[in-house]
Amino acid sequence: MAKADQRFGQRDGSDQNFDYMFKLLIIGNSSVGKTSFLFRYADDSFSNSFVSTVGIDFKVKTVYRNDKRVKLQIWDTAGQERYRTITTAYYRGAMGFILMYDITNEESFNAVQDWATQIKTYSWDNAQVILVGNKCDMADERVIPVEKGKHLADQLGFEYYEVSAKENINVRQVFERLVDIICVKMSERMDTDPSIISGAKTTRLTDKPTQLPQNCC
Amino acid sequence: MTDTMFGSGNHQWVCPNDRQLALRAKLHTGWSVHTFQTERQRKTQMLNKRELDIILSVIHRAEQLELIEQHRIGRLMERLDNMKRSSVGNGLSQCLLCGEALGLLGTASVLCFDCCKKVCTKCGIETACNQKRAQWLCKICSEQREVWKRSGAWFYKALPKYIHPEKDSFMDRRPVIETEKQPVARSVPITYTWAHRKVDSSESDGSDSELSDASSDRKTFIPESITRRHSAVSESSGSVALTPLQSILNSPARASFLSESHSSLGSDRSSLAPAPEDENTDLGRTSLSAPVLRRTGSLRSSSSSSSSPAAASSATETGQEKNDDDDDLDRAFSAASASASALPPPSRKEEEPDMEGYDSDDSTTLGTLDFSLLYDQENNALHCTINKAKGLKPMDHNGLSDPYVKLHLLPGASKANKLRTKTLRNTLNPVWSETLTYYGITDEDMVRKTLRISVCDEDKFRHNEFIGETRIPLKKLKPNQTKNFYNCLEKQLPIDKTDDKSLEERGRIMISLKYSSQKCGLVVGIIRCAHLAAMDANGFSDPYVKTYLKPDENKKSKHKTAVKKKTLNPEFNEEFFYEIKYTELSKKTLEVTVWDYDIGKSNDFIGGVSLGINANGERLKHWFDCLKNKDKKIERWHTLTNELPGSGFND
Repeated sequence: MAKADQRFGQRDGSDQNFDYMFKLLIIGNSSVGKTSFLFRYADDSFSNSFVSTVGIDFKVKTVYRNDKRVKLQIWDTAGQERYRTITTAYYRGAMGFILMYDITNEESFNAVQDWATQIKTYSWDNAQVILVGNKCDMADERVIPVEKGKHLADQLGFEYYEVSAKENINVRQVFERLVDIICVKMSERMDTDPSIISGAKTTRLTDKPTQLPQNCC
Repeated sequence: MTDTMFGSGNHQWVCPNDRQLALRAKLHTGWSVHTFQTERQRKTQMLNKRELDIILSVIHRAEQLELIEQHRIGRLMERLDNMKRSSVGNGLSQCLLCGEALGLLGTASVLCFDCCKKVCTKCGIETACNQKRAQWLCKICSEQREVWKRSGAWFYKALPKYIHPEKDSFMDRRPVIETEKQPVARSVPITYTWAHRKVDSSESDGSDSELSDASSDRKTFIPESITRRHSAVSESSGSVALTPLQSILNSPARASFLSESHSSLGSDRSSLAPAPEDENTDLGRTSLSAPVLRRTGSLRSSSSSSSSPAAASSATETGQEKNDDDDDLDRAFSAASASASALPPPSRKEEEPDMEGYDSDDSTTLGTLDFSLLYDQENNALHCTINKAKGLKPMDHNGLSDPYVKLHLLPGASKANKLRTKTLRNTLNPVWSETLTYYGITDEDMVRKTLRISVCDEDKFRHNEFIGETRIPLKKLKPNQTKNFYNCLEKQLPIDKTDDKSLEERGRIMISLKYSSQKCGLVVGIIRCAHLAAMDANGFSDPYVKTYLKPDENKKSKHKTAVKKKTLNPEFNEEFFYEIKYTELSKKTLEVTVWDYDIGKSNDFIGGVSLGINANGERLKHWFDCLKNKDKKIERWHTLTNELPGSGFND
């Protein structure tokens, strides 16, 4: 019980059997379903009850994509504004973002632009973003048509998915797509323009690299 | 918004003091201070202690993960450094890595795209790029790119913090195992302090929850634990990207803030409950740290109880503690306690081998080998199934190896009894799944001999390198029972020379004998030979077998099999007939010799065996059994030796 759970947790965290580690962040207004989305993906579970996330949380999952084992550290953030200080601090380390709104909640959709600005402000410039409209199972209560979401995603230059954490629609696809996009970025960066290595060579072996993302927050 | 963190005690109209401003500036968060907030708004925006604890526990978990990650990257870096260190060439006239002479007369060379040094084609790797044409990289630069990908440096444009395995040898490379043995690891004292305090002071001040509130003592220990932890973080390499809050918390304002937040939140519903079933009592820490912070009536709890499978699996995922009868599982809280108590983790070493995959954690280990052995007594065969190896020591410049497995039977290691698997390229975790079989293994061998299994790295242009070996005395095996092994490889042991070398082994031969009363003669069958000594420069022999029935007055008893080309394990399946009276036979000796056929020069003697009344051991027994059982074909393996007592070998 307690023992077994601990062991599993330990194993999960210390599982070294992977090639890459990607850090992803899920953001969006409160109650759009970020946590549910993550739980569906990581645990394949769903609960109807709403529990507001306190600050931040993360889960770890290893996926196998393109012949590579990719360990995902997926950060779930609180949508509530009162946690904004904490959550934005985590933008810096994220390689990919899932920006989520609720298709039954216009306000959450209207906030997408602001969230996108937040990403621009706090994240690394090459972080990848996917816009996700959650709760697509609730067709009756839909207020944001698919086209509207698509259009906004195009404007922002993001990819777009409608998903349902409840009905498990497109959940895995979003994560896998994001992993793929990041992989493409990675090979673009490393295989076609590896000059960043030589550029950073001087800092590479020092104990305190100046360009560390960590030092920027 | 920074007020959320620091302004808790101030009146809303009071300007933040210098210290607070300085702290805000450090945050670079860019959030302005909303001085227009009412006291009430402000209160709702403050993080209460419960929230803080939850967040701290998440940060704590993240820190653990980050530490492991830093070790992982450290190992990647070490591997890369090792490759650089072991490169021997100058990159101009010689291959940068292996030092092979390049140019018109030497090996073909390519120019590394990244470092612009020359390498031979073996030390270069051709990468296919999507847009551009193929480019070559030396193995070092290729590895460097790989490190950048694996570490995430490609994204952050610099290598993240890492902990070099050498520098960090006092600390565990795999925290899971070793923290337990070496409580020097940074998290242990934290846990201890934390827990210790809890036990010391357990006064409860009235809270609205039905459980006692232990927050009064926590107000003391939280800051301390944070301080401890934080100092540990800065000592090691700090994982700021993951723990931004830490920097926020590590401020002079922190302690006061925390205690204030506590006092302002007397209605906090956290509670301290002793963890009922934590059996880890080592270091006295777990029983102390185990008290699980449980929160009743929280929002979380409703979700957990309503979706218990979810809660269960989430507990599994994040390393939490779950209580059967306690539906009130608070994800974050229990995560905190679980990760705290799991820090010096319980001894569950048996789990470990599965976890190490790509990275062999200990650079000093040579790797492990998974194989099974089966002695098939009836067919005198020893089946050696080489399944896989894990975490082999890297031998090549690219940090990998090209491993194969070879088998020898000791004593008598020679090419004659060598078997080997195929070579697998560029892997430290090869899976061969090959079965190699020794034929002609007698019961005597099973007592006397030792199987040596060595893992080697194949190098095209250099000598193959030895990685490690393991030895199995065959007497450990029971006939007809497969025995599985999962052995750690060891350094090469000196071959035991104490065994008698007087009769050097030259291989094995399987002979059948039958006295046919119908035809009135002896039928000698030469069935096969096994692991014959190699006589030719190519490492093989071209064996054939001659038989004599001696004494041989008329020199007519000679029979020869066909020559089998280039093999040490020939199959002959030929029978020769000696017409002889049964009574005469007992006086005779059958001499069987194996020869290596050479064109243009005299044939080499490989080995021989004599069966007769003057022989001993197996040889006598075989002969005797043949005489005793007329018309019955009796097959036996015999060991060939380099001399035949009392016989001349001239062809």
